[in-house]
Amino acid sequence: MTSLTTFYLSGIIGKEAFDSDGEAVGIIKDLLISAVPSGQNDPNSQLVTGIKLKIKKESRYYSFRTFRVVKAREFLNVTCTDLIELNREEVENGLLLVENILDKQIVDMNGRKLVRVNDVRLATLPAGTFTVAVDVGIDGILRRIGISTPMKKILSLFKVSIPTKYILWDDVQAVDFSNLNIKLSKSVAKLHTLHPSDLADILEDIGKKSSTSVFSALDEEKAADVLEELETHAQIHIVESLPVNKVADVLEKMPADEVADILDELEDDRAELLLKEMEAESSKEVRELLEYDDDLVGSIMTTDYLSFSGTKTVEEVLQELRLKKPEAPELYNMFVTEKNDKLVGTFNLRDLVVSEPDRKIKQIMKSEPVSLYDDQKTGAIAEIVSKYNLLAVPVIDRQEQLQGMVVVDDVVEDLISERKTRKRK
Amino acid sequence: MTLHDLNRRHIFRRLGLFLVILGPGIITGSVDNDAGGITTYSVAAAEYGYGLIWTLIPSFIVLVVVQEMNARMGIVTGKGLADLIRENAGMKITFFIFLGLLLSGIGNTTTEFAGVAGSMDLFGVPKYFSVPVVAVLVWLLVVKGTYRIAERIFLVFSISLLTYVVSAIMGKPDWSSIGSAVVRPRMDMNVKSLAMVIALVGTTIAPWMQFYMQSSVIEKGLKMNQYKYTMADIIVGCIVTVIVAFFIMVACASTLFPNGIEIKEARDAALALKPLAGNLASHVFAFGLFIASIFSATILPLATAYFVCEAFGFEAGLDKKWDEAKEFYVLYTGILIISALIILIPGAPLIQISIWSQVINGVLLPVVLVSMMVLINNKKIMGTYVNNQFTNIVGWSAVVILVCLSAALLILPAITGKA
Repeated sequence: MTSLTTFYLSGIIGKEAFDSDGEAVGIIKDLLISAVPSGQNDPNSQLVTGIKLKIKKESRYYSFRTFRVVKAREFLNVTCTDLIELNREEVENGLLLVENILDKQIVDMNGRKLVRVNDVRLATLPAGTFTVAVDVGIDGILRRIGISTPMKKILSLFKVSIPTKYILWDDVQAVDFSNLNIKLSKSVAKLHTLHPSDLADILEDIGKKSSTSVFSALDEEKAADVLEELETHAQIHIVESLPVNKVADVLEKMPADEVADILDELEDDRAELLLKEMEAESSKEVRELLEYDDDLVGSIMTTDYLSFSGTKTVEEVLQELRLKKPEAPELYNMFVTEKNDKLVGTFNLRDLVVSEPDRKIKQIMKSEPVSLYDDQKTGAIAEIVSKYNLLAVPVIDRQEQLQGMVVVDDVVEDLISERKTRKRK
Repeated sequence: MTLHDLNRRHIFRRLGLFLVILGPGIITGSVDNDAGGITTYSVAAAEYGYGLIWTLIPSFIVLVVVQEMNARMGIVTGKGLADLIRENAGMKITFFIFLGLLLSGIGNTTTEFAGVAGSMDLFGVPKYFSVPVVAVLVWLLVVKGTYRIAERIFLVFSISLLTYVVSAIMGKPDWSSIGSAVVRPRMDMNVKSLAMVIALVGTTIAPWMQFYMQSSVIEKGLKMNQYKYTMADIIVGCIVTVIVAFFIMVACASTLFPNGIEIKEARDAALALKPLAGNLASHVFAFGLFIASIFSATILPLATAYFVCEAFGFEAGLDKKWDEAKEFYVLYTGILIISALIILIPGAPLIQISIWSQVINGVLLPVVLVSMMVLINNKKIMGTYVNNQFTNIVGWSAVVILVCLSAALLILPAITGKA
């Protein structure tokens, strides 16, 4: 016997645990670890703290401290010196390996995707028993069915080995908390490091219940970014299943055009309810956008743009930008307006950077700018964007008043699909 | 925006919505009448005339109830049936179900290629040409085409199944005796006719379709407040299925049965129709068989590969690249190649293969249905949308009847061999 024993969860589940006299005490049903894997690289979160034993048809949770797993000639033996029952709170704050991890989908943080857990690898050290990795490979499947060893023998005749695939416990994030009432915000902390579009892909695939609970555990900024990236039907599901005030808070953090797109898909009552719950300023912008028909430029333009008076100096504008810290798309193209919001010119970040600080904006701007009308068909966008190589095109109404801008990010998907269909014709 | 504008836009959207939602049920229903189904219907009708047409009515009821449960599970959980089974039934049951699904997938796809070979043979195209060409075309359509285009093509395909109506009417059927056969169900109490009934019910409610239905509902992103439309889609799909089945049986019963012509394959039915109902009817029948075979040969391997991957946690889906979802593409291509090769083996035991894939279906169906009934009555999974009493009664009686039928099918393999 060595001080290190490694074993698989499937190797002990359903087996009997024995006391020091060698008498069977009960059947092992599950293992409890102290917390949901949260990526904080905290070995304590990987410590097995409890065990679920079925004794005479009744299942109870006991502390794992008195238990030991030893390997004697290929056979695993679970022994205990004493049975100390865990209180409710300890069980509810932990994570059950069979119930919440095994056969469930978890997030592989390195691969940024969902994987299904075939088995869990654990190790017993002098300090206790810890989870080491999840098994997501074919080897794990065969082991669970109980044909891993014979298959390996047969395949070794042909010099073929069964691929094994593990993911370290530090690199996984559980997302299935169907019957757990732990504090989710803490337990999904790791997910915040994922890119919003990766996170959106994952949310689309984990089922409705889990996607709602994981989404509601995200902070508002992240939630807004993720909601933007979700597919329409997933957006609707999230918006409809969360409380109105929570959704309104998230929507306020999103660009008005994206909000308008989502609300457009909702039932009128629900959309109205959300608009009322949102701050007056944000909801007004959204309402204006909602007036445009789906095929008009106005429906996809954003009202988050920057406009300045032509009499300002380069230095003044730069200072304003530092203060405002605008989102990246707002800097693609900035606008110069006269009184009544009449658009007279455009300039971009490069124009600012290469100019002397005391120059006036009207001296560096491009006058007679290319623009779109808000009631023009969206089909016109592609031509303008590609012809003039613009990242953002200003949108004006028929009175030449600046209304917003169309950002290339928002139209690029439409452009691609349009090209595809054209090619197929 | 004024309220009026809003309402007008929404009426258009509602109308569009129905057309958008329409699909999962109708496509599933159409794939149902595949080469295997057509064979079973024609053989049953040639053998028993109008005598077994009544089986379509209980099949219809069970079909609607089962598909409704799938749609409801998909809408509520957003998870596929394979996901739910894996997460709740554990690895061993999952492995059993999906091994069965994979084998029956290969068997059924083989039957589809037999349909392609048989029908093209009637038009003078040898199978050594038609089968490889169709296999390559199907592969290209799925892997290189887009899912949306493929789905539209499928919907157009499913209209061509109505060619059976033409065939049936050209056979000048006796409508009054059809009516009385349906109203007064009769079944000879012998093993042969029992086996035929098993085959008829079994071919109408194939296990893989339950997985397919649930996935399509999720793919469409349906919601609970669209339940009415979904229900309409399911019922329309099931009616189409049963009507097509009805006309296939009528076509064969009115021509083949009175003349005492026994057939073994759907191809024989098309051939036998020629002297009785005319060249055109025979060609129309063969064309319908051809289309139905390609239709199912497209969906079956794809669906089978997808569900196996879903259950075992491999990446799957046509939006993934080959390297990202290697297992999925290898399985899909493998099923297609194996099935096509089996047909090309000279003297391959096609009837045995078709019977054995039906046997696997028969054993698998009760297992899948029991899993479904347990899942859908689980409050943790379904919340308030668990089954009501009516659905439970119909569901469990269907399970009991099917278990009995499948048990009979297993115990009497020798007899089914003759059927």
